Amino acid sequence: MQDLVNVVTLGSIYLLFALGMSITWGTIDILNFGHGSIFMFSTFSAYLVLAETSLPLLPVVLIGVLVGAAMSLLIQVVAFEQILKRAKDKRTAEMQILIGGIGVAIIPLAIAQHQTKSNPFGLSESSYQVGTWVIGDIRITSIAALTVVVAVLLWAATAIWLKRSRHGLALRAIGVDAETAALMGIDRRRLALVTMAASGGMAGLSGVLFTYSLGAITPESGDTLLVKAFACIILGGVGSMLGVAFGAYFLAAAETVVLTQTSGSWVEAVSFGLIFLVLLLRPAGVFGRKEVRRT
Amino acid sequence: MIAFYDTNLVLIQATLSGLVLALAIQVPLRMGVFSFAGAGSYGIGAYLSAILVLRQGMPGPVAIAVAVLVAAVIGLLLGLLIFKLNGLYLAMATVAFDLIISVIAINGGDLTGASTGLYGVLTDFTTGQMFALTVLVVGLVALSERGRMRRRVDAVRDDPELAASLGINVRRYRLVAFVVSGALGGLAGGMNVMVRTAIGPLDIGFGLIVLALTMIVVGGSRSWKGAVIGAVIFTWLPDVLAVIGEWQELVYGVIVAVAAVFLPRGLYGVIVDLTKWLGRIRRKRRTGGAEQPVDAPESVEPERVELDNTLSREQGGEVARMAAQSEVS
Amino acid sequence: MNWLAFGRSRRRSAPVVMVALATLVTATACGGSASGGSADGGLPETIKIVSINPTTGIVAFAGAGANKGYQLAVKEINASNLLGGSKLELELSDTKSEAQTAASEVSSAVADKKVAAVFGSVSSTEAVAMSPIAQKQGLPIVYTQAGSSGVVVGDFTYRATPLMSTYYPILKKYLQQQGWKSVGIIYTQLTPTLQEIGSKTLPDLAKELGMTVTGSIATPATTQDFQAPIAQILGGKPDVVAILQVGASNPTAMKQLRQAGYDGPVLGNSGASAGNLKPAGADGAGMVWPVDFNYQQASSSSQKFVKAFKAEYGEDPLNYSAEAYDAAWFLARSIAAAGSTDRKAIKDAMAKEAAKSSTGALGEGLTWKDQTIVVPGVVVEWTGNGEKLLYEAGAQ
Repeated sequence: MQDLVNVVTLGSIYLLFALGMSITWGTIDILNFGHGSIFMFSTFSAYLVLAETSLPLLPVVLIGVLVGAAMSLLIQVVAFEQILKRAKDKRTAEMQILIGGIGVAIIPLAIAQHQTKSNPFGLSESSYQVGTWVIGDIRITSIAALTVVVAVLLWAATAIWLKRSRHGLALRAIGVDAETAALMGIDRRRLALVTMAASGGMAGLSGVLFTYSLGAITPESGDTLLVKAFACIILGGVGSMLGVAFGAYFLAAAETVVLTQTSGSWVEAVSFGLIFLVLLLRPAGVFGRKEVRRT
Repeated sequence: MIAFYDTNLVLIQATLSGLVLALAIQVPLRMGVFSFAGAGSYGIGAYLSAILVLRQGMPGPVAIAVAVLVAAVIGLLLGLLIFKLNGLYLAMATVAFDLIISVIAINGGDLTGASTGLYGVLTDFTTGQMFALTVLVVGLVALSERGRMRRRVDAVRDDPELAASLGINVRRYRLVAFVVSGALGGLAGGMNVMVRTAIGPLDIGFGLIVLALTMIVVGGSRSWKGAVIGAVIFTWLPDVLAVIGEWQELVYGVIVAVAAVFLPRGLYGVIVDLTKWLGRIRRKRRTGGAEQPVDAPESVEPERVELDNTLSREQGGEVARMAAQSEVS
Repeated sequence: MNWLAFGRSRRRSAPVVMVALATLVTATACGGSASGGSADGGLPETIKIVSINPTTGIVAFAGAGANKGYQLAVKEINASNLLGGSKLELELSDTKSEAQTAASEVSSAVADKKVAAVFGSVSSTEAVAMSPIAQKQGLPIVYTQAGSSGVVVGDFTYRATPLMSTYYPILKKYLQQQGWKSVGIIYTQLTPTLQEIGSKTLPDLAKELGMTVTGSIATPATTQDFQAPIAQILGGKPDVVAILQVGASNPTAMKQLRQAGYDGPVLGNSGASAGNLKPAGADGAGMVWPVDFNYQQASSSSQKFVKAFKAEYGEDPLNYSAEAYDAAWFLARSIAAAGSTDRKAIKDAMAKEAAKSSTGALGEGLTWKDQTIVVPGVVVEWTGNGEKLLYEAGAQ
């Protein structure tokens, strides 16, 4: 039972992180490999502010979200927009966005590494202290509960927004056929900026919540999550909201089961082996639509 | 010269193995197969040849040959399993393959040296042999970028349906991509472990994929020359940047980002454009300013004719005509 | 994780090479045969030593700490008359936490005939790449940290940090005092040292004391969240839990242990030192680990070092600096005994020097076994905001 709680909290962290990557990838075709760096650096900013003055939870979260959104917007304007403007075709654009994101990600990483010498940093200066609730045999921390609630609510809100709102419809239209969408009068640039800001905000949010619940992260923590989030999204099927949630909780469950049922050392082989198998059975992810794009 | 060679021997060797690794990722990409399995093959090649030398006492070159063969066969098996996958789904499956190789390395106990890895792989394999092998495979890859072979590969990548209708066995080409990628990756890993004498689990992680991709994208993804440019730059750039001191990582990131953003076809593309531009100026002078008709479709679809200078004038014209036709249809 | 870790290096700056050349010429002029940068008549005016250590990247904290120790020692050595008027010239070279760069740097050092010896990297991964080159080309190299096998591979390679497995058993006294009967272990696969402690040294120690191991989980390098292994280990109801993790994972594991309802002491490792537990706040209190050096240890040679270090840098030294400090003095004594900067002569002198017992920052009665230093060690406890010295093994 405690294992189930652990799976749900770990899965929610993966979901929060992957959700931000998923919305840009599924709609405006931007697979942002700078996401992990945004995640880390927004938390790092909150840590720097906390070194000056102690703040409760909400302002810390707010700092994380705002820094994340700002960084994401900046990357979009100075890097991805420029790439898309110059790229000759979709395939090269995809590759360049991948590498551009990786290149941009090095910059905040280098700054944080330089400041911390890669020592762990945390948010312990915050006046918010994590509490633990005990219900029968089960223990859950306040921050874990908050992470689960936020992840699920945000996920549901995003899904509904994409499905119901005019913006969401426009975004999905871009995801299917960008040119036709433009002909229909959709302002692609503005929508892309909104999406990137939302994505960055989610990265910042997940960074702050993750760090509260772990106590500390290092400048390199974002990179580890990046590969896992990439796996979650692919597993569920790019562009599918149901898919990313499935991917996140599936990966968390697979990891937890292997870690607790064996001596632990084969965790990654088993979880990535499972992903491999799932892809063999469902070549476009579990909830993936048939590829509309030509590959 | 000798002093330079001695001082920078490790970098020279790293350039060679980096180049072969970059080709292991580039060759499948050029065939439209988004596979990163080359990085896993690198791990197989490095570990297997190290084990053969340490446990079986095999000479270095023989161990490398065996490792290349095994990596190619594993590449084929992997290809048979996943060649139906497409795009980034294929990429993810191959990333999973690479990560699984790493986990095997860390869990291999005494055979793979667990988290320490293997060390003390001392053989008679020389940098000269390494250079010769690298030149050989680069030559073979270059051959595949010429003439009929090149057009077939381009067709398989850009329009598999069309290629199939022209009687090209697309499936076979894609499988060949996996095999070649496996062999090249195995070779890069095998050669590197022979000259470096050590290999550990941290050496074969996700970073290999990123490094190879960076080399290809910044160097130029459609020609072996791009891989050469990328391998040289990303092996030596950090060394050059060292004069900056503590902020060199940051500058490195800026350079990668700027290159990815502003050079859509990599540095090789810039060189091609420059030579073309110079050629055009010369031609203009000769013909008194009249534009050659061949140039017109080029500016519409430069992607397909970027390797113009490796073809004869007529072939270039033919490709350009094909491009122009496909624009119309 | 540094992604672009394949072909990094740092070039020796040109001016230094020029200076080296100039001094080489001078030495030749007045000393006759000058192979290996040394004059037969004795030591040259400056003796060049290179520290090839990470000062950027993921192990920068250890490399930077080591360099502080080297710099302090070199300053003191130059002020003393140990080398008879010759001065050590220390050059710092950054490996960026990458094995390739480390190997490249050591090749450069080999090629630079002016370099008498090298201080090798704190990272095992880098060190195993450096050792074969240094040994094959005959360049004396002294490491700190770098606890894996494959680092000390021959008579040119020394390690001035004791293997954790040699001093970890001093925890025995603490375990006996507490009277525990069982232990649960969570260790990382990331480093060979912790893998050895978690899978062998600690279980052996438990066996010796008649304790049962209720569970043992190896976590992969990418694990950041420890709820699942902790729940699993606590399910076995051990008397005490051992967390053997690197840097950032220590505060996380401590926090999550407390959240999971475990309030007792936790056996750790020196990866938790250097203030790494601070982010865990009060939850970090109660972690206990053996270490080769703590600034509070009593011996007068250690305290002399601590005082000098504080005067120089305004902070208490970490074990990384103390080890490096002793490594530098060990090398300087060897060079003085060799009376030459010839690399072979230094190697022979190091072998003689290592046969003696010495005192230094790490304490008294320091000896060498198989070219690796052996020290008594101390046991410390994290109180929530600082390290408390529990006992010193040498003082028994």
